[in-house]
Amino acid sequence: MAEPLTVALPKGRLTDDALVFLARAGYAVPTNGDGGRKLVLDGADGRLRYILVKPSDVPVFVEYGAADVGVAGLDVLRESARDVYEPLQLPFGYCRLVVAGKAGRPDLPLRLERSPRVATKFPRLTEAFFRKRGIAAELIVMSGSVELAPLVGLADFIVDLVQTGATLRENGLVELRTILESQAELIANRASYRLRAAEVRELIDALAGAVREA
Amino acid sequence: MDRPLPEGVRDLLFADTAAFRRMETALQATWSAWGYREIHLPTFEYADTLATDVGSEMDAELYRFFDRQGRTLALRPDMTIPTARVVGTRLYDQPMPLRLAYTGSVFRYEPPRAGRQHEFGQAGVELIGAGGTVADAEVVALAAAALQAVGLPEFGITLGHVGFFRGLLAGLALPERLTARLQEAVARKAEAELVRLLAETPGLPPVARQAVLALPRLTGSAAMLVDAEAVCLNATMMNALADLRSVAALLDAYGVSRFVTYDLAEVRDLGYYTGITFEGFAPGLGFGLISGGRYDDLIGHFGPPCPAVGWALTLDRLLLARELQGIVEPEPRPDVLLAASPASAEGRRKKEDGRCGSRAGKMGAAEPGAGTGQNCQTCLGWAAVARGRGLKVEIDPLGLDPQALWHAAKARGIPRAAWYAGTEDQATITVREADGAEWRTIGADDWEEMDRWQNR
Repeated sequence: MAEPLTVALPKGRLTDDALVFLARAGYAVPTNGDGGRKLVLDGADGRLRYILVKPSDVPVFVEYGAADVGVAGLDVLRESARDVYEPLQLPFGYCRLVVAGKAGRPDLPLRLERSPRVATKFPRLTEAFFRKRGIAAELIVMSGSVELAPLVGLADFIVDLVQTGATLRENGLVELRTILESQAELIANRASYRLRAAEVRELIDALAGAVREA
Repeated sequence: MDRPLPEGVRDLLFADTAAFRRMETALQATWSAWGYREIHLPTFEYADTLATDVGSEMDAELYRFFDRQGRTLALRPDMTIPTARVVGTRLYDQPMPLRLAYTGSVFRYEPPRAGRQHEFGQAGVELIGAGGTVADAEVVALAAAALQAVGLPEFGITLGHVGFFRGLLAGLALPERLTARLQEAVARKAEAELVRLLAETPGLPPVARQAVLALPRLTGSAAMLVDAEAVCLNATMMNALADLRSVAALLDAYGVSRFVTYDLAEVRDLGYYTGITFEGFAPGLGFGLISGGRYDDLIGHFGPPCPAVGWALTLDRLLLARELQGIVEPEPRPDVLLAASPASAEGRRKKEDGRCGSRAGKMGAAEPGAGTGQNCQTCLGWAAVARGRGLKVEIDPLGLDPQALWHAAKARGIPRAAWYAGTEDQATITVREADGAEWRTIGADDWEEMDRWQNR
């Protein structure tokens, strides 16, 4: 039997949704019994092997071919700017990458800001957004609790992911602009897309079918 | 003391260098068997020359610097542009076609990916002065032959044609903004994005919609090239298919069609290529290792217009691809470590300058093969003859005694230690294999035995 296709899944919520769709598409998926510690899981039917990685690492695993395909949020995908194919959008993981500021901020267009300090986990997209508008933003790259930055005077704005906006509101922040509407994407390695064309195509079509039925 | 290397460059040590050399030798043998002649190109040129029509992407990747007059120079980012300059300015009136080949380093300011640093090794061929599918097929078949020649067991080449997508764009006649988005979506094989794009352009006729939606599926074997006729909007698309079918038939005749698949939605470097395009992949590597295509517009930038088709492969990636498929280059090593004439350990300890044959008087006479300066000179003569027969002979310069000599050979992966004794008339070699238990003595003219030492 041929080697299974390797699927990189982002640890966390997206993986649960991805597994639901993979199961509906007819693939054997690992059960809860496999526990949370194993990083490599084999599907019982031998068609897919699952690796669980940090969400922002999924595009890297796929670009290098360490995984043939993967599930990644568009936010992570655009931030990483990795060279992968994106054959299918998946109907989960919806969120927005937004610019937010303090609720009491004067009603001033962003482009009139002098040189705002912006805290974010998405430096590439943030830089591109402000630069495109001619604003020399000072980026403060953080790895968590971005909402805190404006409250304690660390930053004027934040660029962060928002699902409902509740977290922002609770922290006295308001959305100012949307940079990106994000959802989960199936991504594929360029070499695997060709060298294992039949299996990759089968997966895309089966998942697309599951998405249509959902 | 720290001596950091600048970003983007690397040293290759012994086995890797040997592998590079072996790959280059195999490539040279292959392309010269196909009539390609090698040229040597300068490492840097005027930046204006290299930036000609390369597209902004490569332009941003150029390593630039100034000459003493303040003119901007750049390290070559590939070999095709310098080759085109040579043809356009020096070879344009030579009998065509020209078959050219090259190997060398190229330099690009891009993040290191898959074994490729800012400086990496490239080898390639260009077939110049011949349009048409016979030339196209020759170059693709040569790519397959080259990858086989370097000993890559498994690989795949995907063949496309820019005419198909260009024809589609012409047929769609979309506003520029949508054209760019469409190209971007097709490049990423983003099928949902295509659907969304169509939703934004309600005026398109159904055949055109169908063609756009079909694009991501127009991949696979040569049989797909027939089915794809159903979505052609114009003669440009039909001609692209006809070209590919003709190339496919020729590749069949070349016996390489098992390596080749087709993809009509490959739209990279759309502005550079003018006909067929192709890219080669190997299992596990994740990145393309060879790419090429037809670029009939490039040489015209430097001289009279001239059709051309070619490819370039990245040697660094080829090395990785071979390793992933289990091909390990052996560490280069000599066949034998030869002591000129070992003396007793005691005699050697007193020796200070370590040069062969000096202070012969101090050598222990009790040691078998105890030598003299005369002995040593004879042994160097013997080493020269042995090397002439292809044996790799390393001379021990330290004056080690037999035991130390054997240990030194073992430690350095040299398969045997030996010492030479006697005169020109009657000489012997006493040898011990690195994994052997004892020394044995053979005649210094026992070439039958010693030829067996080569590479083992």
